[in-house]
Amino acid sequence: MGRLAAAGAVVAGALVAAGSAPAHFDPDDRYTHRACPASVANRVDPINVVFTGWGTWGRAVSQIESHLGWTATSGTTQSFADHGSCYSLHAQRASGQGSRFHVRLRGQHKDPALRWTATGDAHHEDLIAFPMPCGHAVDSNGSGGSGFDQGRDELERRFAGGGHATSWAWWGNTQSFKQCDGDYAASDGWTLFVELHQVNHS
Amino acid sequence: MTGLRSVRGPVALGVIALVGVLAVVLVLVLVLVLARSGHAGAGGASPGSSFSLERALAFDDFELFSAGRSLDGLPLTAVLRRDDTATYVSFVYGDCEPEGDAGCAPPAEVQVWPACRRSLALYDGEAAGSPVPEPVRVRGVPGAFFDRGTRLELETGRSLVVVFAGSRAQAVRVAAALEAVDGSVAAGAPLPPPVPGRGKGGAMGC
Repeated sequence: MGRLAAAGAVVAGALVAAGSAPAHFDPDDRYTHRACPASVANRVDPINVVFTGWGTWGRAVSQIESHLGWTATSGTTQSFADHGSCYSLHAQRASGQGSRFHVRLRGQHKDPALRWTATGDAHHEDLIAFPMPCGHAVDSNGSGGSGFDQGRDELERRFAGGGHATSWAWWGNTQSFKQCDGDYAASDGWTLFVELHQVNHS
Repeated sequence: MTGLRSVRGPVALGVIALVGVLAVVLVLVLVLVLARSGHAGAGGASPGSSFSLERALAFDDFELFSAGRSLDGLPLTAVLRRDDTATYVSFVYGDCEPEGDAGCAPPAEVQVWPACRRSLALYDGEAAGSPVPEPVRVRGVPGAFFDRGTRLELETGRSLVVVFAGSRAQAVRVAAALEAVDGSVAAGAPLPPPVPGRGKGGAMGC
């Protein structure tokens, strides 16, 4: 529950101006989608990380590469919703080609409290080769939680270790998703907020 | 001819052995594939299940509710259990087809969490990005819609029931169909009121 307190400390006072122009972070849709238009039926992954501060998608990519060494760019395209519209991802980064950590990213609207924002679907996934090769499947669970929780927590460890401010918010987006190996994977409902700085690492 | 036979004999035996090995491997693969692609049996456990209806019946950490063995024509396809960074028992209705790296969302799901791990008090409506609950009372207990009505959370007894559905109307139908797994609450009957002591972060303790 320390996650809740930490989230409150960082984003306290950030009232969303409902009904105003779309100049704010829109968390109305807390999942990625197989394609546009976004629908409940084509949800794929829970969104479990938000980059804030100088959180443009380009900076998110650069700082993920720097802090985590995730430089692989392979993976299927997915879509993100923002203010009722749907857009393809901006980028994706992974720790390799086989079983790996992976995150898809989309820059979202700037927010008065959070400033620049980008969202992602961090996860750990296994490359399934047997009995039927089917691609990557997010881990259903384990001592560190599901693959979604493991990917998010890896981001938290490495960014926090690198001096970035991190916090947590309860989103409750715990819907289960069937994977190509027949197992189900779900987030534990906690979303990580990572504050990025302006200057990228070399 | 004798010489030829003497050459073909071992070759033929080798081919037969190879075919035999391939046949055994094929049968094993077929068995695994069939086991993976089968549907829920009487026990409600599909290949993707990590729990079963039988184990749910014997479960008493907190009250379990499901929508029965089918819902809107959708069979119960999996019973899941998590007890790591999340704690719940889940009942999955209907099926979907993952495409390569992309998972898929089953048509409906009922997750039951212990109230000490999940409650409506966890939502911080004033934090940027936090979901804003849409309060509602269903079958006599407090709850809230989220995600444009496609997620409904209900506080009952020592549990929090989370319904994921394709629409608000389906979420309401799922809520109407909820019944206690142990048979103590029938579909449509009033749900047990939430026990006192729920609080932010789960003050009642697990």
